[in-house]
Amino acid sequence: MSTMSVPGSVGTDHLNRRVEISIPADAQMLFLARMTGAAVATRADLPYDQVEDLRLAIDELCIGLLSSSRGAGQIALLFQWDDGGTLDVVGTSVPAGDPSRSGHRPQEPRHVLSFELSRRILDALVDEHGADDMGGVHRAWLRVRRRDYSA
Amino acid sequence: MTNDALFDVTESGHSKVPIVNARGEIDVSTSPELHDVLAGVISRRPELVIVNLSEVTFIDSTGLGVLVGTARDLRAKGGELRLVATQPHIIKLLELTGLDEMFDVLPDTKAAVTR
Repeated sequence: MSTMSVPGSVGTDHLNRRVEISIPADAQMLFLARMTGAAVATRADLPYDQVEDLRLAIDELCIGLLSSSRGAGQIALLFQWDDGGTLDVVGTSVPAGDPSRSGHRPQEPRHVLSFELSRRILDALVDEHGADDMGGVHRAWLRVRRRDYSA
Repeated sequence: MTNDALFDVTESGHSKVPIVNARGEIDVSTSPELHDVLAGVISRRPELVIVNLSEVTFIDSTGLGVLVGTARDLRAKGGELRLVATQPHIIKLLELTGLDEMFDVLPDTKAAVTR
């Protein structure tokens, strides 16, 4: 996992290169995050393989956010990209109640295994990623750069 | 659209070599259903279980975790789990997580049964 700071901008503040969505912190809603991620990646002109990679990476990002939200509240996702082919995704879990009571649940062995697999997937698919907790609010982010498959 | 519409899992084959056929998207909301089906299958202590992923369009770490956990449980009982995968991005995911070394990954169920 990278130690990069949370991306605030990828070098542009153009609103037409910025998409925000908020979905219920419900496992059944993660397909919406994946769909949006794929659409944004296509709009950012990433090649097909990277669009598929980003779809999975966003799913993994959201799994971490879902875990911290205890299945309540909202997951907010911000997508920003630039002409140079860099796309950032910042996700935040917004708890429904007292943020200080949120946080990761004790994990079963199966979940610990999935967490390790999730880390491996993100390491392989994106250029940088990270996560932190502040005041009970869990935040996770990733950055991808357009790959040139012609080389 | 609910995830019920995005995922389906059925069982075929026979008692000695059950085949679990998954279709659609295996994610954090649908992997428990796959887990439950596989848990039921391995409770019958088969020697070999085939999980057919050829119609799976998406699988994440929770789905892979179910497969790994099931394979471990099955091995502890003397059995083996093999995968059928044909979609390039599913095969790629197995490779990048190193799970292609844990599982035999075959191109069709016939090859998986007879290997």
